[in-house]
Amino acid sequence: MKRTCTATVHEVGGAAVIELTGEVDGGAAGTLNAAYDQAVTGGAAGTLVLDFAAVDYINSTGIALIVSVLARARSERRAVVASGLSAHYREIFDITRLSDFIEVFADLDTAVSQVAGPAA
Amino acid sequence: MAETTGPERARSAEQIELSVREATAGTAATPRDAGRWAAKVDRLDAVARDGVRGTNVAGRRLTGPVQGFGKMWQKTYRLSLGPQVTPEQAIATWKAHFPEFWPAGNRFAGALTGISPGDVALLDLAVGGGVKLSTGVFVLYADEESFTLMTPQGHMFAGWITFSAERDEAGTGVQAQVLMRANDPLYELGMMAGGHRKEDVFWAQTLTALGHYLGVPDAPVQTRTVCVDTRRQWRHAGNVWHNSMVRSLLQTVTAPVTALRPGRRTG
Repeated sequence: MKRTCTATVHEVGGAAVIELTGEVDGGAAGTLNAAYDQAVTGGAAGTLVLDFAAVDYINSTGIALIVSVLARARSERRAVVASGLSAHYREIFDITRLSDFIEVFADLDTAVSQVAGPAA
Repeated sequence: MAETTGPERARSAEQIELSVREATAGTAATPRDAGRWAAKVDRLDAVARDGVRGTNVAGRRLTGPVQGFGKMWQKTYRLSLGPQVTPEQAIATWKAHFPEFWPAGNRFAGALTGISPGDVALLDLAVGGGVKLSTGVFVLYADEESFTLMTPQGHMFAGWITFSAERDEAGTGVQAQVLMRANDPLYELGMMAGGHRKEDVFWAQTLTALGHYLGVPDAPVQTRTVCVDTRRQWRHAGNVWHNSMVRSLLQTVTAPVTALRPGRRTG
């Protein structure tokens, strides 16, 4: 049974956190772009944390979507990090060389503690 | 199209699934897409195949869109096949006959078995003036409704091409979607000076040929181009060292000399 991708956006310290659930595939484009727009509204978020802890499937189209988000963020001089990837998807980030450009943390707490401000 | 050997796999799908099971033992079940992704390779391996020069692939690293130099583009080429063909049929046909749909003058020497994760295919691409650009692609991902190719260092662009099919109210649509940056400054100039146009024609002709094969000969190809990132990544300007166009030209020019070297195969 396909689980549609959903995204929840909130801010921790100076970082915007996008928590994703379900399947990140071609159908996730609208969700991911809307979440990005919401996360950067106001322009404050210098760093975006993409949390994949509740994601159970990513295909190659989904990886391309993540790259698009990364490109948008880089063009706006924002950093992007990832958290909560399973061992399998960590390997996929290595294969696709996404991990060269997105720092990957084991879990959301670790990511936030590393990238957010002292208040986090 | 002549192919002489099987796929060069870094690891088999079974080995990939085994490694994933090992990595996640005791914590999670094997991911359902484990066999659809290629295993990680540091550098590509390639063996000679008939019909292509086969240079500029072995030893090269893979390059995704973030490793390239030029502006980042997302180009989507789409064709509607109508209700008679299912997405699975369309992709199975595309995988099985992939080289046959390419425009004349270009060669894709892949595995005899079609398109499978981890395969390395060798390419000779017509770039005008009788020059062939020798490069390759790596099959990054493949399932029943899509497959993705990734380019190596020296290819015209750093990126991925995803071929997919999906069903909507109008029937099945097939598309090729390229996410790319020109690999180096020379390629970026070439893309600006007509390269993008040539690429658009290339994929439109490919989709038209696929539609013709599947019994939909006159469907129009819709093209959508989006510049995802307008910035050029000057720190990757050094990618020009691997430029397969330059190397292919040199290989063409020096071929008569190298063929005369003792110990070289001349046939």
